[in-house]
Amino acid sequence: MQDFLTASGLSKRFDGVQAVDDVSFSLRKQEIFGLLGPNGAGKTTTIRMLSTVLRPDEGDVLIGGRSVTREADAVRRLIGVCPQELALYPELSATDNLVFFGRMSGLGGKEAKERAHELLDRVGLESRAKDAVAKFSGGMKRRVNIAIALMNSPALLFLDEPTVGIDPQSRNHIFDTVLSLRDSGMTVLYTTHYMEEADRLCDNIGVMDHGNIIAMGAPAELKAQIGDPSTTTLEEVFLSLTGRSLRD
Amino acid sequence: MFRPLHLTLIEIKRYLADRGDLATSIALPIALFALMYGVFGGGAAFNSDVHVADLDGGPAAQRFLAAADAVDGLTVVSSTEAELDRALDRTAILSGYVVPAGFSADLEAGRPTALVVRQRGSGGRDAEIVASILQGVLAEVAAEYELRSAARALTSGAVPDAEVARVAGALAEQARATPLVSVEVDAVSGADEADFLDRLLPGVVVMFLLFSVMLSAQSLLEERRTSVLERLMTTRLSPGQLFLGKFLAGWSRGALQAFVLLALAFAALGFGGPAAFAQCLALAVVTAAAVSALGLTIASVARSQEQATWGAVFVTLAMSLFGGSFFPLPESGAFELLSRLTLNRYAVDALEGVLSGATTLGDHGYEVAVLAGVAVAGFAVARMLFRTSEGAR
Repeated sequence: MQDFLTASGLSKRFDGVQAVDDVSFSLRKQEIFGLLGPNGAGKTTTIRMLSTVLRPDEGDVLIGGRSVTREADAVRRLIGVCPQELALYPELSATDNLVFFGRMSGLGGKEAKERAHELLDRVGLESRAKDAVAKFSGGMKRRVNIAIALMNSPALLFLDEPTVGIDPQSRNHIFDTVLSLRDSGMTVLYTTHYMEEADRLCDNIGVMDHGNIIAMGAPAELKAQIGDPSTTTLEEVFLSLTGRSLRD
Repeated sequence: MFRPLHLTLIEIKRYLADRGDLATSIALPIALFALMYGVFGGGAAFNSDVHVADLDGGPAAQRFLAAADAVDGLTVVSSTEAELDRALDRTAILSGYVVPAGFSADLEAGRPTALVVRQRGSGGRDAEIVASILQGVLAEVAAEYELRSAARALTSGAVPDAEVARVAGALAEQARATPLVSVEVDAVSGADEADFLDRLLPGVVVMFLLFSVMLSAQSLLEERRTSVLERLMTTRLSPGQLFLGKFLAGWSRGALQAFVLLALAFAALGFGGPAAFAQCLALAVVTAAAVSALGLTIASVARSQEQATWGAVFVTLAMSLFGGSFFPLPESGAFELLSRLTLNRYAVDALEGVLSGATTLGDHGYEVAVLAGVAVAGFAVARMLFRTSEGAR
């Protein structure tokens, strides 16, 4: 299957610190790719470059054949971003949030409303569509956060730690949503600190540390590098690759 | 093209969605206005107690104390000399007066005498005003006794003392009622001269415009912290459109707040008609644009919400203080120069003129130009400095 995203030689420095250093990888269409790494590994900076928020110091990314550095607006039509933080307006209703971000993504008014209702139904919040998001539980807010990223029907979805601080029911609902999105043809780039999540969801995984990708492959391939894939956990692989010393 | 307007509308919707914030942004200015008007307004006349120990008790002393008590704003409080000294010792009062023994006899005999003032330090500004008023009262009382002396000298004792006293008293009373010379106040702008209310209302409106719109700059930093701005940057919205939307949102919020405050003030306090209201609103709208740009500048410079809060509070208080929000500015000096750096000076002066009916919007082209210039320059500077996130566009 052809690559949908190709990152080549991505580098970014902040105040003399090399946050991302010559990173290259690719995602096939309709793949869930897990980007793992300890805190400060460079995952979020990489996603920010992939999603056109940050301009790389060096290198480029092609998404659906479009360059993030030269054709940012065209790339933005193809992507949906769900940040780690709850990037929404808590005073407003779930519908208002979705419609607003949909309008910002280029949808017309009627189209945005229809899409908002469709997505709220998909994430199990149709009955709370008119309630202010501030009144929602953590899990419900996370689901709204994801639904916003889906408003423009993206071909590539970035999910940055989408399951932080939520209950098992909401987490499982999010897993099911991500898998169904993949099955419907979407490509997903997923970051998480929960190794069992990555093991369950991801077709391929890239492990980042100190701004570099230090290992890449299917979960079973990575496990095979250090032991029997049937008994080795992804967490053991992760600790083996990144070490046990604490990170800031 | 319409994305900045959508952003503006969603910001207005957020403002209206929080009923508590909405009520506070309207109720607080009204409360402050009522409080300041209650404390300072309508109380332009001077009021003070005059503590007096009368050691004489004679007719001249009685006449002096009665005349002093009859002065508007003065209330004579009788004390003993010991009570007066104790009150001064414990700083309960800053000044007191002693009518010395023999005061009446000396006046009667045409001999010089004096009212004694006891005070702590300078006695304060009130004491100076009271002393000045009492000097005038004493002069009137003394004039009556001087008239008696003159009458006795002219008649060489042919007229009984009681008759001299009666006629002199009547003449003194007539002089008090219809003085030969008096001071007349000729207001430069006639009946339309700005009064305390005309200055207080613009002061409160402009100060709360500064508070509300500049504190809304905080929300911009909150959106940066929660990655809302970053998320917006992954949509079709350009950084310029984002910034324009935020500017228009701040401007609209300020204009909306000013509209409600001015409408309430015009309805409740009976300022001029619809034309004056429309002119005041136009001035407030231009002011809101300048303040919105200033708020964005603060948000662009601040690195955290706390910095934005303190920056906004400092700018608001400094501008309200040095911009003459509540009291007329001096016509020259450092204070006046400093006031030129504030938005309040231009906004409050123009609003005050229109509210009082002394001027119209057309007379304030300079003020409107300054406020509009600040809006344009502030927008440009803030746009150059603002980043949606660390290292971002």
